[in-house]
Amino acid sequence: MTKLLFRAAIAMGFVGAIAIGQWNLSNQPLFGAEEGSRAPDPEVTKIAATGFDTIVSTWYWMKAVQFVGGEKSPTGLGDRVGDLIDVVTTLDPYVGHPYRFAAVWMKDDEQTVRHANRILRRGIEHHPDDWRNSFFLAFNHFFYLGENEVAADVLEPAMDMSNPPTYLPPLIARLRNQGGSLDAAAAFLNQVIEATPEGELRDAYIDSLLEIEAERRARFLDEARAEFVERHRRDIERVEELVEVSPPVLRELPPEPNGEGWELDDMNRIVSSHYRFRYEIKIDGTNRRLIDAFRARSEARRQLEMEEEGTSDDA
Amino acid sequence: MTGLRLIQTIALNTVRDAVRSRVLYVLLFFSLVMIASSVTLAAFSYVERERIIQDIALSSIRFFGAAIAIFVGVGLIHREVERRTIYTILSKPVSRAQFLVGKYVGLVATLWMQLAIMAVGYFVICHFNGAQLDHRDAIAVGLIAVELSVVVAFATLFSSFATPFLAASYSIGLYMVGHLTRDLRSMGENSESELIGTLTLWLERLLPDLSAFNRVMEAIHDLPIPPVEAGAALLHGIGWTVAFLSIAAWTFERRDFR
Repeated sequence: MTKLLFRAAIAMGFVGAIAIGQWNLSNQPLFGAEEGSRAPDPEVTKIAATGFDTIVSTWYWMKAVQFVGGEKSPTGLGDRVGDLIDVVTTLDPYVGHPYRFAAVWMKDDEQTVRHANRILRRGIEHHPDDWRNSFFLAFNHFFYLGENEVAADVLEPAMDMSNPPTYLPPLIARLRNQGGSLDAAAAFLNQVIEATPEGELRDAYIDSLLEIEAERRARFLDEARAEFVERHRRDIERVEELVEVSPPVLRELPPEPNGEGWELDDMNRIVSSHYRFRYEIKIDGTNRRLIDAFRARSEARRQLEMEEEGTSDDA
Repeated sequence: MTGLRLIQTIALNTVRDAVRSRVLYVLLFFSLVMIASSVTLAAFSYVERERIIQDIALSSIRFFGAAIAIFVGVGLIHREVERRTIYTILSKPVSRAQFLVGKYVGLVATLWMQLAIMAVGYFVICHFNGAQLDHRDAIAVGLIAVELSVVVAFATLFSSFATPFLAASYSIGLYMVGHLTRDLRSMGENSESELIGTLTLWLERLLPDLSAFNRVMEAIHDLPIPPVEAGAALLHGIGWTVAFLSIAAWTFERRDFR
């Protein structure tokens, strides 16, 4: 009887120890920002996977999802997300969503965005018919890095991919314009119009071409306005002043391509009364603040790295 | 009895013997649990759940298939020696090579039955969770069957001269290296050392390329599987199976059971 009680006590001791351990473990966060986001070297992981690449990739994908969706905000931890997605896409480059996931969550600073761009380029390589990766890559180049021409170059091949959205050609034209060349934007759209059969879509592209023409004329008016300011030491209050003033800066205003007129917008810029904005990709105040914060973070990181390099050189 | 008939009889006995093995059922049970739990695991992702279900289920089939092949395969000869039934069998007009091939065919047949059960589980899970199934899934499962027959062949070879523990170690090692030869060669090509480049190249040439049988990626991403590649993998499998069995038979002929 004593022996039995002794055994029961030992058994209960073990059960208790296990229960306490389990209770303690179950109260710990599964994927804390620090623990959950650690990713091994992708090439080493590929070797270690010994043929089970896809399932290891899936495992790290689930870790990335849990990490981003965890309690702690992943903002500022884009590099870690990038490392996880690097493992995911190195082991299984044919995954689809993880590429866009990287693009969405890796936006802390320039270095992180460039890392995301490398991942997106891998996505484009393995999904040559999916326009979405090109779109995200172009967005990163345009929005965060200010590389409008590169963005247009990245986006242009996406037009030949499977089911691209109809707004791509006008968007590429705007990017070309923003990259500095209105002529390049017009030439591109003309090319697209030529290749598009008659119909609503073609009419929409022709309308975009009219927008470019309106922009060209608005720029002409900008030059006239500059001359007005130089002559009269004041700015215009109405666009018509350019012809009404004596002597007139312009004999007549160029016709608005849609048969309407010209006016000054909220930002005091000359715009077509038909479109009411200039031919560019508009970035509103909130987004402008986002870009400014992004640039500040990028600069801070650059400074920090330079300081660290200096310290290591000294050492 | 003709040679083929003898092999058939030994194979049937092996199947009867194998289906009594508890290891087999334990591994089969876990594989089915893994296939079923793929649905739960896929819930951890908010996208591409069908792909994850297919991935986990097919990988489980590959993993547990290989585990059954190795752990049952390495005991193939040893059990007969331990139980001393080998003396009774070999005292009959049965050559050692016929005995070995019979055992091999029996185990492969058992494994393919297990694979069929796991494949049914896979198709059922995929069907009820909206994962698309097509010929690629069938090819992937078919090539797993070929891979398993190669794995059983080298497990048989190792079991013909080594203890089960050592045979299992060798088999696991060869299984892992067999899946790495392509990666190692690619690393060797990028290496600055010419010696490593040559070494990895010869490693790929001299060892079976088990990654040729792995078409999970194509099945889960609906990528094309060129018939030439599938055919080449089949021939590769048959070639290596014959090679391993020939060496196993040659080794087994010279083995002293005293």
